[in-house]
Amino acid sequence: MRKILTLLSTAAAAVVCITLTLTPGKAQAPAVPAKAVAKAPANGRRMSDGKPNLNGVWEYIGTANWDIQDHSAAPGPFWQLGAIGAIPAGQGVVEGNEIPYKPAALEQKKKNKANWPAEDPEAKCYMPGIPRATYMPFPFQIIQSNKDILMAYEYASANRLINMGKPIEAGSDTWMGTSNGHWDGDTLVVDVTGLNGLSWFDRAGNFASDKLHVVERYTRRSSDVMDYEATIEDPSVFTRAWKISLPLYKRADKNAQILEFKCVEFAEELLYGKYKKQPASK
Amino acid sequence: MRQRVLTTLMVLAAVLVAVLAATMPISGQAPAGKTKKSAYTPPKLPWGDPDLQGLWPGTDLIEVPLQRDPKAGERTEVTPEEFAQRQAKAERTAENDRVAYVAKDSKVGINPPGYWLEHGKPQKITSLVVDPPNGRIPELTEQAKQKAAQAKQAKQGHGTNETWEDQSLYDRCISRGVMGSILPVIYNNGTQIVQGPGYVAIRYEMIHETKIIPLDGRPHEGSNIKSYMGDSRGHWEGNTLVIETTNFLGDKNGIGLNGGGTPHSADMVLTEKWTRTGPDMMEYTATINDPKTWVRPWTIRMPLRLNPEFPLYEYACHEGNYAMFNMLKGARAEEKAAEEAAKAGKK
Repeated sequence: MRKILTLLSTAAAAVVCITLTLTPGKAQAPAVPAKAVAKAPANGRRMSDGKPNLNGVWEYIGTANWDIQDHSAAPGPFWQLGAIGAIPAGQGVVEGNEIPYKPAALEQKKKNKANWPAEDPEAKCYMPGIPRATYMPFPFQIIQSNKDILMAYEYASANRLINMGKPIEAGSDTWMGTSNGHWDGDTLVVDVTGLNGLSWFDRAGNFASDKLHVVERYTRRSSDVMDYEATIEDPSVFTRAWKISLPLYKRADKNAQILEFKCVEFAEELLYGKYKKQPASK
Repeated sequence: MRQRVLTTLMVLAAVLVAVLAATMPISGQAPAGKTKKSAYTPPKLPWGDPDLQGLWPGTDLIEVPLQRDPKAGERTEVTPEEFAQRQAKAERTAENDRVAYVAKDSKVGINPPGYWLEHGKPQKITSLVVDPPNGRIPELTEQAKQKAAQAKQAKQGHGTNETWEDQSLYDRCISRGVMGSILPVIYNNGTQIVQGPGYVAIRYEMIHETKIIPLDGRPHEGSNIKSYMGDSRGHWEGNTLVIETTNFLGDKNGIGLNGGGTPHSADMVLTEKWTRTGPDMMEYTATINDPKTWVRPWTIRMPLRLNPEFPLYEYACHEGNYAMFNMLKGARAEEKAAEEAAKAGKK
């Protein structure tokens, strides 16, 4: 059922990267305002409670969604796309560049890669999970309230609310997981559990299981750059915990906003094409 | 399946109102579409905006029909007798659900059992549409009537499951549009507001949508960018959040439950107003202005109740859309069986 390939989603995804323009940071915002002023600037560095202000539209620039490990340039699967469809080289975001797979899991990873793109949940327009949502070639927006923190991703309208109150236990497993956040100094730490393990890490077939536990750390380095780290733990797939780290860049476009990328329509032929009505056989 | 259940519910609700229709003085209400002055002053966020945050599901209103029964005329509330009937019906439903749930020989049919669905609380309002004053969706324009006729024509001789495109945008898990995402339906009515400095975000549970509304007065997106959920801009009128949404994809979703009903055009301007009227109540209105589709603007109003305990789930609609595979496979299997039966008949 998943053998018919559409070029659409791949083409759309391939075109996106590299269009960001970074403007020099406007150093703003005094430290903690003594009193909560009526209107804290939306782009100030701190919220009125003194916590770092992470509000904004963020995006990673790089090729981690192709492969979170070091990779050379390579042809894409669709010769019709020419150079547009080729895979750019990239420096990995995995610390030490090694993903400590158990032997059987490594075999599965290889299988996943061999079955790309048809078996990649991204091609099917399935929610990307954590951490992949963070470094896809699409922006995401952080809405940081005085309570919880919402992260809304452009890809597939995926979103998750980070609970900043008393930690909640994950109910049933989900694609985007259950997120509990707290502040460690100026770093937002998000503990993600309850992930269903159906997402991949990248287009190279890196994966985990439903035992996946991700601890993310968001640290604003400057007005335009935020450091992102994710510690990955999954005793059924990996021999030890490992870490990815990458910078997120704030979209400085005056009119930056999340647009709509409802990709179901772009994946239906891939998913259901085999089952549509064929011309009657004689 | 969902459509059938909905239709049944709507018909039941309509029948109930029709049967009980009686004359009653019109109860005082604010003019439709106008911002109701609320005596309640909502708490303020640290950056000064009124605090509208929280879960505002429409679950209470599930049984209120979108359109008023014509027999009720301009009556916006039911009579005390009608209300008592609604209460009695709610009690019967609850009892039926309880019995069906515990019965060992519960029959499982094509539709989910009653107790699987959510039910509202008996309401006094006669309809969700409050303007025009008769609570009815205005007449379609000539252009929209022609379009509807053409769409019907195009479906002639076409099976129901030839491709996925024969299903609704809802059943394909694409989008129900803004109004389809907030009008109360059979389950997963979670609507959640989260606010940050300069922004309001509204999450809709079913299918999973997030609408992010900038409040900084920036212009709308260019007119060549269209989307199911449109492009929203917001501002405060006193303590009321006013959201204007444009740039819709036309001829896709309607303004009915789950995005059903006559599709609106790409030129629709949707104006929503959110006003807290008490510590746990919100008045929500939406005015639909689409001169290409309806002969006049119309307004929906819903009183929404804060429910901090409402569990908003991840609604992985497309990811779990096994029904689509099954419907298409089933239709192909039926065709194959018919073809083979025909061949066997010829021999």
